[in-house]
Amino acid sequence: MNEQAVYLSDKLDAIIAGAGSLLPELVLAGFFLLLVTLDLFKAQRIKRLLPWLALTGLFWVLVLQVLGGYTSGDEPFLDLLLSDGMARFGGILFSAAGIFTVLMSLQHPRLEKLQEGRGEFYALILILVLGLNLMAKSVNLLMVFLAIELVSIASYILTLTFKQEKRAVEAGLKYVLYGTFSAGVMLYGMSFFYGLTGTLNYASEDFALGLLQADTLLVTVAAVLVLAGFFFKISAAPFHFWAPDVYQGAPMPVVALFSTGPKMAGILVILRFVNNFTDADAFADVQLLLGIAALVTLAIGNFTALWQRTPRRLLAYSSVSHAGFLLTALLAFGTGYTSSVLFYLTVLLFMNFGIFLLLQVAEEKYGVQTLEDFSGLGRLLPYFGVMSVLYLLSLTGLPPLAGFMGKLLIFSNVWEAYTSSGNPMLLVLLIIGILLTGVALFYYIKIPYYLFFKRNQSHENLVISPSDKLMLALFALPLLVFFFKPDLLLHWIEHLLAQTL
Amino acid sequence: MDFILTSLIFTPLLAALVILLLPVRLHKPIKAVTLLAALVQMGLAILLYFRFDGGAAANGQMGYQFVQKLNWIGFSLGNLGRFQIDYFVGVDGVSISLVLLTGLVGVIGVISSWNITKNVKGYFLLYLLLLTSVMGCFLALDFFLFYLFFEFMLLPMYFLIGIWGGPKREYAAIKFFIYTLVGSLFILIVMIGLYTSVIDPAATAVQMGLLERGQAASAEVLSQVQQMLQRNQISNYNLVHTFSIPAMMEPANFIPNSLLHVLSGSILWDLPLRFIAFLLLFAGFAIKVPSVPVHTWLPDAHVEAPTPISVLLAALLLKVGGYGLIRIVYPIFPDAGTYFSILVGGLGVLSIIYGAMNALAMKDLKKLIAYSSVSHMGFVLLGLATLTNEGVNGAIYMMFSHGIISAMLFLVVGVIYDRAHDRMIHNFRGLANAMPAYTAFVVVAFFASLGMPGFSGFISELLVLVGGFGAPEATGLLPRWLTVVAVFGLLLSAAYYLWALQRMFFGKFWIFPELRQNALITDLNTREYLMLVPLAVLALVFGIFPHLLLDKIGLTVNGYTEMVLLRGQEQLGLILSTLQK
Repeated sequence: MNEQAVYLSDKLDAIIAGAGSLLPELVLAGFFLLLVTLDLFKAQRIKRLLPWLALTGLFWVLVLQVLGGYTSGDEPFLDLLLSDGMARFGGILFSAAGIFTVLMSLQHPRLEKLQEGRGEFYALILILVLGLNLMAKSVNLLMVFLAIELVSIASYILTLTFKQEKRAVEAGLKYVLYGTFSAGVMLYGMSFFYGLTGTLNYASEDFALGLLQADTLLVTVAAVLVLAGFFFKISAAPFHFWAPDVYQGAPMPVVALFSTGPKMAGILVILRFVNNFTDADAFADVQLLLGIAALVTLAIGNFTALWQRTPRRLLAYSSVSHAGFLLTALLAFGTGYTSSVLFYLTVLLFMNFGIFLLLQVAEEKYGVQTLEDFSGLGRLLPYFGVMSVLYLLSLTGLPPLAGFMGKLLIFSNVWEAYTSSGNPMLLVLLIIGILLTGVALFYYIKIPYYLFFKRNQSHENLVISPSDKLMLALFALPLLVFFFKPDLLLHWIEHLLAQTL
Repeated sequence: MDFILTSLIFTPLLAALVILLLPVRLHKPIKAVTLLAALVQMGLAILLYFRFDGGAAANGQMGYQFVQKLNWIGFSLGNLGRFQIDYFVGVDGVSISLVLLTGLVGVIGVISSWNITKNVKGYFLLYLLLLTSVMGCFLALDFFLFYLFFEFMLLPMYFLIGIWGGPKREYAAIKFFIYTLVGSLFILIVMIGLYTSVIDPAATAVQMGLLERGQAASAEVLSQVQQMLQRNQISNYNLVHTFSIPAMMEPANFIPNSLLHVLSGSILWDLPLRFIAFLLLFAGFAIKVPSVPVHTWLPDAHVEAPTPISVLLAALLLKVGGYGLIRIVYPIFPDAGTYFSILVGGLGVLSIIYGAMNALAMKDLKKLIAYSSVSHMGFVLLGLATLTNEGVNGAIYMMFSHGIISAMLFLVVGVIYDRAHDRMIHNFRGLANAMPAYTAFVVVAFFASLGMPGFSGFISELLVLVGGFGAPEATGLLPRWLTVVAVFGLLLSAAYYLWALQRMFFGKFWIFPELRQNALITDLNTREYLMLVPLAVLALVFGIFPHLLLDKIGLTVNGYTEMVLLRGQEQLGLILSTLQK
């Protein structure tokens, strides 16, 4: 009895001591509760306040993480959550993604008029960002599972925001089915790891040592099972099937969030996880499978995108291909690829929110459903046209935009890793990855093609609102700045990463 | 610090910003601003040409003048050293001719665009962006900077063809974009490989504390750093990776265990990695040149592009391909360059013959001229592959001369197309009777292009052929029969030009009946004289006084061929002997 009391008090002390490092999450949770409570009131005045309240919370968390200083050290919280520089940078990206989502939702006419569940919608964005933060901080497999589930559950509901639409229901159902399946597989794999190493703390030395002593085949199987769950979150092949349907069915701000938030967090989780598999001799199979997965993801993403007729599905496959690039980067072991990956993720954030905002404007205001519907819009609205060219070129990875810089950094890492390891898979990934940019251009350019080369007389008196214009410029500016001065961002990333080393 | 090169590059960009602020309806001011920018650029180019000292290039490959080098991007990569990109521009004998050409053709292009009516603002904006990126390509000495301009060229061109082009413009624009993008992706792969392998000795010396920041590096310090590098005595942390092309040309700057080092012994598919890198780069630039068999985008792009854009495409954009081969591919990979000279020269001769044969078969005058471009650009490849002084001089002269003459040829086609809205050879006959002045210029352009003595085309072809015939003795790189076959190409080009002349211009005046109602056959107007006369004069002047250009480029080329040949054979020996071990 006494022992238990001591144990409990130790735990309590640890919780109290480490709670400081969870300040951003606590703020998010607090605002979530506030939103849910206030949503119970029927007064319109309060309802109208909710998005701004969510924005306040997210902004607070953003500032908190940019400034830092809330965490006492790099001790993990109860061996579950580690607030290191990477997690902090991730947190900044996630709260920015949350802010952008709320801002985009405020521009979305149908979301603004939503009768039911408008408060819920913003509360769920908060909880999703909270889950993402936890994913980035997790150093324990069980915690990863919980965080991923938190994100997933919020995602399922957000997909179904427009419940009365058939395609939203279809998307939601598919998402749930795939999600639960891969979650189960992942949990199964985690149990293997516990059996093999005796610990769930996958950032610890015990875990790495345990893996080295364990049977290679078992480790490979377990790694594949766990990665299945992670791949689902970043929509990497062969767990990408939900992406096109969800992108087609969910409201545009939510799609933009899905294409960035969970992908960024998932990549950070994988980054921590694959750090255990850097030994080229012991884990040749795991590395090979990862390489194949990256290759397949790249190929499926790029080639399937060629046949798409709607911009949403096209961008879903483009998002799959970006997952492929990120996976490629994660294989460049021993080259300090973390900062390149974080740079790429930052660029991805701005590119994706920019292009999805454009789609939202096109869809809600100009009734664009298929690629053909873009015909002639670029001539009528030069601002809209120029912005879409800019975003699409950045997505393709052409200079002078930051998308190019992101790819350049990743490919440099891969080349460097090839130089030091001589692993031919890396060279194949490098060459295929670069050449697929040519394929990518072919499908991305379809949108400017319709915008500028085709004519359509039916559009009349189209306008683009000043707030949309402003936001489009806001997302575009970093893409130019980070091309011409990538060192601004990279210095900061390096600075954050160095803090916890 | 001299800002003339920077002004050359960014004058059009500045004008583009001005145009961006002008209201869409002000057609006249938009055109005036564009013309002014092109005139300023031409003025600066001519000024540069006169100030450029042809004698200063005597010390071989480092004879760049008007150099401007500024730190642009730099950050630490931890244990991988530093990543550095410079804004690094300079001009030497290779680029001076093309800078002059860009200045001249830029103005001609604006005059030729004067009667554009569709979306004037967008057109001239893109036109100016194109000028900036072409000029930037010719002046950049940093690979990254070069690549930036090289890629950025595609976008304005894509829209210029796709919006203002002919009936099949969309297809032509996409084909152009995809082809050249794939080419530049090949280049990107090698660029990444090179920059991870090469260090900047001066910046590394600063990083190691051997030099103060901002202090000029002496030759001793540089060679000390290079020696330490080759002995693996510099810690990774201090290595400063660079994109600088002159640094990449120096084999001593390659990190010893990097894949592209001469002694690395790395092979892929039974070829040394350096050879593969060369082939990738060559493929990338050959698409742009274009060389057979990757030339198929060119006829489509030319036929569909509006006249001024055809002019720019033929006169300037194709030159970027040849320039890239001379500036980047051969000096950085001299070993593979000498090893594959038969491939480069062979593709050149193939382009000469195949292009000429196609031109002979064309029914569309513009297509004929497009294929003649393929044929003439083949001489650039042949001249470069010889690696003789005459050959490389000829290749550079050919780029300049073809720039002038092809501009004239496409303008001439534009003239007849403006009047008859058709340019099929068999729809016209006896045009000389209706348009005597026009015919005179056509004759000048055709004869200049087919290599008539007295025109610049003759000088360049002569130099290339002399180089080719001398190559077996001088460098031993190319067999003589290859040059003999190339001479046959001259015959063919005389054939297709004279035949076209005979069919379209001689005999009794006749045009196809269905064209008559829209056609208004009048002779040249003032604007057209303004474009054609200067070009004809230039073709003549540079045909009669070749020393005007050769004096400027000669010494650079001397040092260039010497260096490429010497290093090529030396490094080739090293690579092959490392492989045998």
